[in-house]
Amino acid sequence: MLISSTDNTNEDGVDILANNLDSEPMLELFVFETFELISQLENIILNNEEANSIGIQINEVFRIVHTIKGSAAMMNFNSIVSLSHSLEDVFYHIRENQPENVDYSTLVDVVLRSLDFLKNEVNAIQIGSNLDNDVSIIVQEINEFLSLLKNENGLQKPKAVSTDFNMQKNNEVPEVTGENHFKALIFFEDGCEMENIRAFTLMHNLEKVANVISYCPKDIIEDQETIEIIRSNGFEIQFRTDLCIDNVKTLLSNTLFMKDIKLETISPIKNKHSSEENDNTGRDNNQITVKQSMISVNISKLDILMDLVGELVIMQDMVIQNPELEGLALNSFNKASRQLQKVTNEIQDAVMSIRMVPLSATFQRMHRIVRDMGKKLDKDVKLEFIGEETEVDKNIIEHLSDPLIHLVRNAVDHGIESPEEREKKGKSRSGKITLEARNEGGDVWIIVRDDGKGLDRENILQKAKKQGLLKKPENELTDREIYSYIFLPGFSTKKEVDEFSGRGVGMDVVNKNIEEVGGTVRVDSSMEIGTTITIKIPLTLAIIDGMKVRVGKSIYVIPITSIKESFKAQESTVIKDEANKSEMMMIRGDCCPILRLHEFFKVQPDTTNLEEGIIIVVENESRVMCLFADELMGEQQVVVKAMPGYIKKVNGISGCAVMGSGDISLIMDVSRLLNIS
Amino acid sequence: MAEIPEESLQLVEDTQKGKFLTFSVGKEMYAIEIKFVTEIIGIQPITEVPELPEYIKGIINLRGKIIPVMDVRIRFIKKPVEYNDRTCVIVIEVKDISIGLIVDNVSEVLSIADVDIVPPPDMNKEAENKYIKAIGKVGKEVKLILDCERLINNNDAQAISKIA
Amino acid sequence: MKVLIVDDAAFMRMALKSIVEKSGHEVVGEADNGRKAAELCRILSKEGKKPDLVTMDITMPEVNGIQGVALIQEFDEKIKVVMVTAMGQKSMVQEAMENGAFDFIVKPFSEDRIKSALTQIQSILERNRV
Repeated sequence: MLISSTDNTNEDGVDILANNLDSEPMLELFVFETFELISQLENIILNNEEANSIGIQINEVFRIVHTIKGSAAMMNFNSIVSLSHSLEDVFYHIRENQPENVDYSTLVDVVLRSLDFLKNEVNAIQIGSNLDNDVSIIVQEINEFLSLLKNENGLQKPKAVSTDFNMQKNNEVPEVTGENHFKALIFFEDGCEMENIRAFTLMHNLEKVANVISYCPKDIIEDQETIEIIRSNGFEIQFRTDLCIDNVKTLLSNTLFMKDIKLETISPIKNKHSSEENDNTGRDNNQITVKQSMISVNISKLDILMDLVGELVIMQDMVIQNPELEGLALNSFNKASRQLQKVTNEIQDAVMSIRMVPLSATFQRMHRIVRDMGKKLDKDVKLEFIGEETEVDKNIIEHLSDPLIHLVRNAVDHGIESPEEREKKGKSRSGKITLEARNEGGDVWIIVRDDGKGLDRENILQKAKKQGLLKKPENELTDREIYSYIFLPGFSTKKEVDEFSGRGVGMDVVNKNIEEVGGTVRVDSSMEIGTTITIKIPLTLAIIDGMKVRVGKSIYVIPITSIKESFKAQESTVIKDEANKSEMMMIRGDCCPILRLHEFFKVQPDTTNLEEGIIIVVENESRVMCLFADELMGEQQVVVKAMPGYIKKVNGISGCAVMGSGDISLIMDVSRLLNIS
Repeated sequence: MAEIPEESLQLVEDTQKGKFLTFSVGKEMYAIEIKFVTEIIGIQPITEVPELPEYIKGIINLRGKIIPVMDVRIRFIKKPVEYNDRTCVIVIEVKDISIGLIVDNVSEVLSIADVDIVPPPDMNKEAENKYIKAIGKVGKEVKLILDCERLINNNDAQAISKIA
Repeated sequence: MKVLIVDDAAFMRMALKSIVEKSGHEVVGEADNGRKAAELCRILSKEGKKPDLVTMDITMPEVNGIQGVALIQEFDEKIKVVMVTAMGQKSMVQEAMENGAFDFIVKPFSEDRIKSALTQIQSILERNRV
């Protein structure tokens, strides 16, 4: 697909690999690995910014750039090759010459810009579009940086690498008298590259059994020109050895990419055999292969596996709870089915755990945002992580990235004050943003906390009022409710618009994304102390523990995590508001609205008498509500399925689940139910 | 994924061409092009879903796949009847949407030649008319050929999402 | 031949592996640095799967390819190690050859280049065995 749209030969006219290979998985792996490498490099560069030097991690940095270059060259992505090549030059220089004056902050800027370019290119590769961005600008920038670096530090001679080894002084050379005198002219295969080194290697091998008298061209190591000479004229070498011509031939042809050898005898031949190195290896051919301990798997395969496990759980219930079994004494059946349930549970857990990924990579990305914005806005901001190893379902992570970016941006922009302002307030000059993740029951909490100036309650309130967003009388609003207005579309309290935030778009993305994965957002803030935003999301989307409730003939599932308690109501605790036709109930001094499910879902219940049915108290975000149903039907783990696309979204329903009987139950969306009322 | 060769697709379409599944709702006989029909099943337990138009009865579990079901009677503003053992669900797939049509009775698969298919009379008075694409003549009988796309789309999807 | 592929980039390993296997050779293992490569050689030998050929990247974390060659040659000189190197790493290649590498291949390589190298190495091995 994409490969064919690019030039299929590299500069030397060599067919590139992508042409011949199964390129689809190769491309996938290339994209995956290159992204990984880019983010590794970005993290190293950012983490060392404080120290103002790459330090010993230079080797790591060099290796990463080198690897990116190598892989890109194989796929013939030339822009990536030339960019990473320039970067490699810079890091090579730093590694080899250890210049004293390195403008690290400029280096970081240049590297980060390069990485952005690379990310764009890899993205384009991933979606199959053409790579037509102009790499020359950024390459030139890098080269300028490098020449500046070289100038400022004087042109030091590279540290001595073992380029100067002298054949004559090679002490491995055995004493060879050399009865026979040979002249060999050697041609290498076209395009095998680095012919000078090949020639040198050849000579090096020969020296073990021969005395080299002369060779041409000379100076093959230092003089790059010799490559061309060897390509066109071949490499000529004369030597003396005790070996016979056949053995010499064999010895010389023990080299790769030899196109042609012309071997001439200059002195008479004497047949003498000498033992040559010979190879001998095991020849059994069984199938044990030693594999790597890590593999990467396409997420869609995991989705399929997950679906299948879901089906398995349903089928298991269909078998075990089959109505035909009722009333039968089935001791060993029951025992076996308990075993089966245990195994299926374990499979389920294992599959879930495969899909879990730590949040650290998502957190790490925030470094870059904090740095870029801090620099732009002249703010000094430190970023701290707590619990970044906490794991979340892969699908959820994808929904988390954007909200976190917006929250962190917002914290730097609106939360953290300028160093001067902070100093005046008696705070430390540098502000701090903390990203924290932790497990709380079936949920993961992600907390973004800053120690900035806090939200301006009055300002938000006035603005909300002006935009007509207030749904309750002002004095009934809690602080949290007021703060949560910042997540409404079009709400921005900043006076002027800037590059990062304040366009009024963004913060509503937070709410939208988080709600999509069944999570909630909560804001706490106090003036001059800071703002804390807590995101609560489920560990996984696919399987929930549910409580089955019956209303008439319909069964609904309520996620266990949102159920606080359930009980039989007493008429005396119910308060009726005839004017609003609403009912409420006192629970331990608190007034709770009652939602009759049969009315909400418009189904025929067994009873409308509150004392005869059951009250289920559900909670979300510290808001509480009483649901009224006919009866509880017990707990069950259910696999969440989306409603068919044709039906779109239904209020108060988050999806559906296939029960053991094969029937479908609707899963209630408690947070929405609470919002509706 | 292996792609189905062009010719065999052609072949499938050819053998399906001019073939219709006929069924009855009330006194009328209807027909739908066989290419839309995935399968025919007996009536299933239906889970009601709130906020849907009356003619969408809810959702059913079709071997793990969850699809909505439409009562064609109510769609055509005919008097609803109790479902019985002759009630069928015709599962059709139109534009990647799977949906079940609840009908009184499925009768047979017929071939109707192009010459026997005529445009519907412009009566424009009954609700069901806008879902009739053409009229097929089979002997002395008349089959009303349904426009599947209209039947399931025609503002209804929008109407549904508007409620939500 | 039994081939062990050593490279820190999974992409490169995949590229090499696919060619090696297409050419009818067996990839007996993969490693992502020099130390692991040498360890793997030992393990594989115990299982009777000693590699005939090791393709060795140069720039790798922890223990690079140059040290990797030395470790493998120390274990068994008969294992042929072919360096897979980027253009321009000539001093590294020299060092690797000093340490006992058999030859080198320059990246980026074409499929045919690797295939021809594999054929040549195999015939060298067979010739030496006779």
